[in-house]
Amino acid sequence: MKSVLKTTLLTLLLLIASSLAVFAAIRLSGGDVTAARLPASATAEDRELFRQQVGLDQPILRQYVTYVGEVFTGDLGNSLTNNASISSLAVEKIKNSAILGGMSLVLVFGVGIPLGMIAALKRNSWLDTGITSFSVAGMAVPNFWLALILIYIFATVLGWLPSAGQGGIEYLILPAVVLSAEGIALTVRMTRSAMIENLSQDFVRTLRAAGLSERRIYFKHVLRNSLLPIISLAGLRVGQIVGYALVVETIFGWPGVGQQLVNAVLRRDYPVVQFFSLLLVFVVTLGNLAASVGYTLANPRLRK
Amino acid sequence: MTPDPLLDIRNLSVGLRGDGIGYDIVRDVSLSLYPNEVLAVVGESGCGKSLTALSILALHASPPLYITGGSILFEGTDLTKLSPAKMRAVRGAEIAMVFQDPMSALDPMFTVGTLLTSAVKAHQKVSADVAKKISLEALADAGIEDPRRRFDEYPFQLSGGVSQRVMIALALVNDPKIIIADEPTTALDVTVQAQILDRLRELKNERGMSVMLITHNLGVVASVADRMAVMYAGEVVESGAVGEVLAAPHHPYTNGLLSAVPRLNSEASELVPIGGRVPQPNELPAGCAFADRCSFVTDRCRSEHPPLEHHARTEVRCHHPVA
Ligand SMILES: Nc1ncnc2c1ncn2[C@@H]1O[C@H](COP(=O)(O)OP(=O)(O)OP(=O)(O)O)[C@@H](O)[C@H]1O
Ligand code: SF4
Ligand SMILES: [Mg+2]
Repeated sequence: MKSVLKTTLLTLLLLIASSLAVFAAIRLSGGDVTAARLPASATAEDRELFRQQVGLDQPILRQYVTYVGEVFTGDLGNSLTNNASISSLAVEKIKNSAILGGMSLVLVFGVGIPLGMIAALKRNSWLDTGITSFSVAGMAVPNFWLALILIYIFATVLGWLPSAGQGGIEYLILPAVVLSAEGIALTVRMTRSAMIENLSQDFVRTLRAAGLSERRIYFKHVLRNSLLPIISLAGLRVGQIVGYALVVETIFGWPGVGQQLVNAVLRRDYPVVQFFSLLLVFVVTLGNLAASVGYTLANPRLRK
Repeated sequence: MTPDPLLDIRNLSVGLRGDGIGYDIVRDVSLSLYPNEVLAVVGESGCGKSLTALSILALHASPPLYITGGSILFEGTDLTKLSPAKMRAVRGAEIAMVFQDPMSALDPMFTVGTLLTSAVKAHQKVSADVAKKISLEALADAGIEDPRRRFDEYPFQLSGGVSQRVMIALALVNDPKIIIADEPTTALDVTVQAQILDRLRELKNERGMSVMLITHNLGVVASVADRMAVMYAGEVVESGAVGEVLAAPHHPYTNGLLSAVPRLNSEASELVPIGGRVPQPNELPAGCAFADRCSFVTDRCRSEHPPLEHHARTEVRCHHPVA
């Protein structure tokens, strides 16, 4: 339990450090933010005045502290492009991304683990070969390419699913599949090899000798042992989903955080870029924390 | 008149089969385990002791290993013919097994209690409370001092000796008629070894069980076992009452083993290989497997495989038994 506390504290420090880095990077990345807001005819003085108004003339650390304070009071500032309040914008985007990301995470583990288990159980059968080849493909094909292929097949040729936008569940299917493809593939491979390895452990023979059923040995004992490495890398899966969401949301016109962030970067709308990139940092860090706590709780040696 | 054996292994062969390869590792092994006795099986590393033991409960790695001949009769039923479901009903309930390396033989993710109660529930329809009670009793019977505390502990919290007692408790929970112990104390230090072997011997007497004890240690055989079988290169070469065999070994291999042991009952009484090497199962000679290492070897030994025959009061596989 002590280790959980330690991890949480470390995560908090990491969160501050990484958000500060993102915060500074946005300011140092160059490009004139005033160009987005002020007309081309604005004078240097006008521009300087604007900088002062939005606080850009302050030292970065000072700006950061002010900003964090504002975030905690729910004031996220306004978009530079249309002056809309970011908080009103954020709720909808976060909800959409949470749906897509959550669905993808469910697919990564909900599809990856069972497929890996089947492949391990039926190893060297045609079923195993099929599942393994699919997972190799899942890792080899870049996700934008997979997106284009799936759009072509299921939207253009077959017309079963919409190619972009948001609406019912049919709009969620393609983006969620593309977003989770690599994670599923990695989870299948990890589950398969962990199950096969654990099946040959001495303790399995002990359980068989005690008369436990194969099903119980496989689904309770071997699975529980095999979940450890999967849980320990679950943080990486979250990070992957967050990272790929930028591409996938943009391709599928999914109105979430990723699409919003890409648009804001293109328009140099730095308050929007700032909030949403910090949000992503937050989610990734939190994902890692959850994975690490999960690992501790799942491992008797660490739990005690 | 001797009673019928409880477990009667008859002409058992276990072999490796696969792409273009096929040879037997355990060959024509016959062993009888009578009610309420300890049968020791001894022999150099690799001679097929574990494989013989595992095949009784069909626990050998299959593929690539298969039972290629013979039968294993338990109370008149041939275990080699059982369906997986029927075999599962025998495992742990009629015949239990204790393995060599207790640390890796216990599932690290579950407590001792979970392990024992799952084993109880695999064979008995009892409530969780009753399963717990049975498990605690088995832990106590296995010689564990504080069963309640151990019940909630994980394998990593146990010493080697306690782990092995947990393995014994696991073997006891369903009150089997036979315990097969495959080098149960090799991984442990000497005092713990002695305690655990004593406990096994006492349990045999208290519960009227039979024990098949695989060991390298002739001192252990002398102090614990009633009868013994000596294996060499996958075959039984000599078997009989411990007193008879150890006092007057008739097979040159057994003879060599005994003279290689300076003092019986000492720590140094591990089986010391006699000069030369055990032939691999895939390169066995046509005649006697021991011929290359035997000082009594004749031409007949090299051409004609010796059968297991009565000699004096033991069974010996040799053309020229030592008198
Ligand atoms: N899964 C397997 N695949 C191939 N060969 C095997 C397998 N298991 C055992 N063997 C072979 O069978 C032979 C007998 O092995 P076994 O484990 O029964 O020996 P043992 O008498 O128990 O030796 P030890 O005293 O070292 O435990 C060895 O030559 C070993 O290499
Ligand atoms: S049969 Fe011959 S070679 Fe084999 S043990 Fe007997 S005497 Fe030695
Ligand atoms: Mg062995």
